[in-house]
Amino acid sequence: MSDPAAHIAAQLTITKFLTPNPTWLSAFLTTQRPTTPFPALTQTACFRLLASDITKSLTSAASTCFPQDIHNANIKERSVLGPVAVQILAVEDMSKSRWEQIEAIEALERGEGTKGREIIRVTTTEEDDSAGADVQKGGGPHKLLFQDAAGRRVYGIELKELEGVGLGMSIGCKMVLKNTLVSRGIVLLKPTTTTVLGGKIEELHKAWKEGRKAELKAAIEANEHEARGSS
Amino acid sequence: MARKILCVAEKPAIAKSVAQHLSGGQATTRSITGNPYVKNYDFDFNFGPPWGNCSVTMTSVLGHLNELRFPAQYNKWHSPPPSSLFDAPVEDVVHQDKKAIADNIEQQARYSRALFIWTDCDREGEHIGAEVRRAAFQGNRSLEVKRAQFSNTERAHVVRAAQNAINLDDRQVNAVAARIELDLRIGYAFTRFNTLTLQTMGEDLSDRVISYGSCQFPTLGFVVDRYFRVKNFVPETFWSIKVMHLRDDTEVTFSWRRHRLFDRISVIVLFERCLTARIAKVTKLQKKPTSKWRPLPLTTVELQKLGSMYLRMDSQRVMNIAESLYNKGWISYPRTETDSFDKGIDLRNLIEKQVQDNAWGPYAQGLLREGFKWPRSGRNNDQAHPPIHPVNYVTLATLGGDDRRVYEFVVRRFLACCSEDAKGESTTVEIEYGDETFFTSGLIVLERNYLDVYPYEKWTSSQPLPRFNLHETFEPTEANITEGETTAPGYLTEPELISLMDANGIGTDATMAEHIAKIKDRDYVMTQPRAGGAAQTNGSTNARGGRGGRGGRGGGRGGSNASAGGGGGSVQQFIPTTLGVALIEGYDGIGLETSLGKPFLRKEMEIKMKEICAGTKTRNDFVQETLEQYRDVFVRAQQQVEVLRAACRKYVFGSQP
Repeated sequence: MSDPAAHIAAQLTITKFLTPNPTWLSAFLTTQRPTTPFPALTQTACFRLLASDITKSLTSAASTCFPQDIHNANIKERSVLGPVAVQILAVEDMSKSRWEQIEAIEALERGEGTKGREIIRVTTTEEDDSAGADVQKGGGPHKLLFQDAAGRRVYGIELKELEGVGLGMSIGCKMVLKNTLVSRGIVLLKPTTTTVLGGKIEELHKAWKEGRKAELKAAIEANEHEARGSS
Repeated sequence: MARKILCVAEKPAIAKSVAQHLSGGQATTRSITGNPYVKNYDFDFNFGPPWGNCSVTMTSVLGHLNELRFPAQYNKWHSPPPSSLFDAPVEDVVHQDKKAIADNIEQQARYSRALFIWTDCDREGEHIGAEVRRAAFQGNRSLEVKRAQFSNTERAHVVRAAQNAINLDDRQVNAVAARIELDLRIGYAFTRFNTLTLQTMGEDLSDRVISYGSCQFPTLGFVVDRYFRVKNFVPETFWSIKVMHLRDDTEVTFSWRRHRLFDRISVIVLFERCLTARIAKVTKLQKKPTSKWRPLPLTTVELQKLGSMYLRMDSQRVMNIAESLYNKGWISYPRTETDSFDKGIDLRNLIEKQVQDNAWGPYAQGLLREGFKWPRSGRNNDQAHPPIHPVNYVTLATLGGDDRRVYEFVVRRFLACCSEDAKGESTTVEIEYGDETFFTSGLIVLERNYLDVYPYEKWTSSQPLPRFNLHETFEPTEANITEGETTAPGYLTEPELISLMDANGIGTDATMAEHIAKIKDRDYVMTQPRAGGAAQTNGSTNARGGRGGRGGRGGGRGGSNASAGGGGGSVQQFIPTTLGVALIEGYDGIGLETSLGKPFLRKEMEIKMKEICAGTKTRNDFVQETLEQYRDVFVRAQQQVEVLRAACRKYVFGSQP
């Protein structure tokens, strides 16, 4: 195995379903010492890939990306064989109102997340019982915005709870979808068809975090307009 | 040698009933010079070893004897400047109005060999005990000092307390002394600062005192916080899926496990998958015994919360009534954190006393025959008092309206505590439909047990569920997407406010009601009934003089409280006044971390007071540390006085920035 690039690419494709494109790979190899053994080199490459933007680092072969007509809402249900490698651009907890999330962010901004600075705002009184349907703890289901190596963006929702998916997850986190269901342009996620690889794209994550409150506010306004428009 | 023992209670009613019990009704009553309320009772009593048979004089104080104050040169508001109050000298002197009482104690002490303190057994009572000790030492330095430990004025209990006196707990005394000093310094400094800063703004603010208290402000903070949460709230639409199935002429509604989602498209996609699946399958069928737990033994915080929830009285009114019921010997001491009964207490005997009542007597009788169950134990124990419970039976007809309702509540709660849980059977049916799970449940109440004596709680059987079988499949009669909108929380109600104070460490069970009354009194908040839209405000005209928490506790029994029961049918809710909002916004603007409107600083104080009581912190360290923290806030407030003024301009004078 004289070609390290080919070796690494093959390894990552087999084990992680991530196929780095040649440009990215050769750039990567120039930063590594030639004496580094293959296993270590492969591992480093994997780590870098998880931190990279896959639209730049992965090959965008049709078989490892979403089909071009993925958004077609007329298709009631279909399977996408893949495996499609994607990165997460946004995550929402559909069980929480946006306002509730804004309040939580503002409480953190006021420093109430620090120990000794917490304020308890809600206590249960027996009177409240009547209203309480039992909402799941921990939130969810979540709605994720995916991007494949070709740059196509698609929404996915948790049909069943997935480990590693939540509001606390990193933006840029990589996932692989195998034989996944797509309904009306929305990917339906189940543990059996979804693998969370992890990783993070630092700049995106930071921007997402910082812009979160404004985005939630904008979403509320957008919905209001929509509601007013439709009524 | 003098064989006399001087006993001093915290208030005249306690002195009277203790004297009656110890003397067997043979006490001679004497008036004292200079105070119409306090009486001296003379009698003989056998205290047991080492005291033996002694002649006794039993008297009382009226709450605190002493007051802490600044020397006269600090009486002017402008100079020396308010900031000097953080380290100005202070004087601990007998309160002007209490001189006659102190003199009485001093005189009686001269002829006594020992002083038995009968103040209420809590931190504040311990401190009052120390004040009594000081007054008595004026008359006789060689007195031996003891403290009676009691939590109600039932005869046997009082006799036992007299014969098993312990020592005064100086740690508790120190904790309270420190708190009094801090309240004085911090309260005066910020009150003067607020007032001087804001009165120059004129109009409404020109001639009013804008008082500050370290509990008052965080209490107000909760009201303001909720007010803004209500005001800023934005409703949002959510969607859900509802499945209905008709079986045996019964419409069974299945609810979505996901409850509701705020994403319409996703709900539509999930709903479509249900319809496509067409057939639902029963995946879980569970029938199991269920119970509704009987209530825990009653604490002060619960009494206050439930009082306003069930009896529609504000917490101060409830506490005043409970206090007077205690003074008369009907119920145990109403200031307690304990929610478990000591194994030594004879609960059956207490139940027996209630047998004669027309309403709950038969139930009590039933409990004694069969069904008595030792109450559940909560997690709190203040090691001083048992949970609030009836001590003696009193015919309801002899009590006034609200007294009657509070007594009835205490009794019913107690009987409920000693009963079996209510029992029932619950059935849950879970179905899988598409990828989604839905459920329905039914309840059959089998035995009401405690609920029979405790009408304040409800638990009723649901409509009976038709039969479903595990793994059976069926096609639901109907499935729909439903739409709803989130609604704003309500303004803060008194039970909620008490819970928040409790959860965030503001005030103690004994003082919460006072803090709430205070912010109404200061016009920082208004109350109105929750239900109707009519903004009929209901301000309290409760005139309570003096600082130091319990100034009025002895004589002010039955204090006038205009808002008492005035709510009629609904819970009262709190809305801040413009000044209340301005103060909190102003101080939050000056610095969130240590804002006076946030609970942190005060919570720390409360924790440190407990450390003093536990002996892990000294009074001096506590006072210095706390003064340092508040001085920082004070300096910052002085520097950023414009922030405070701006908040007032914005809210009080209504000029939008």
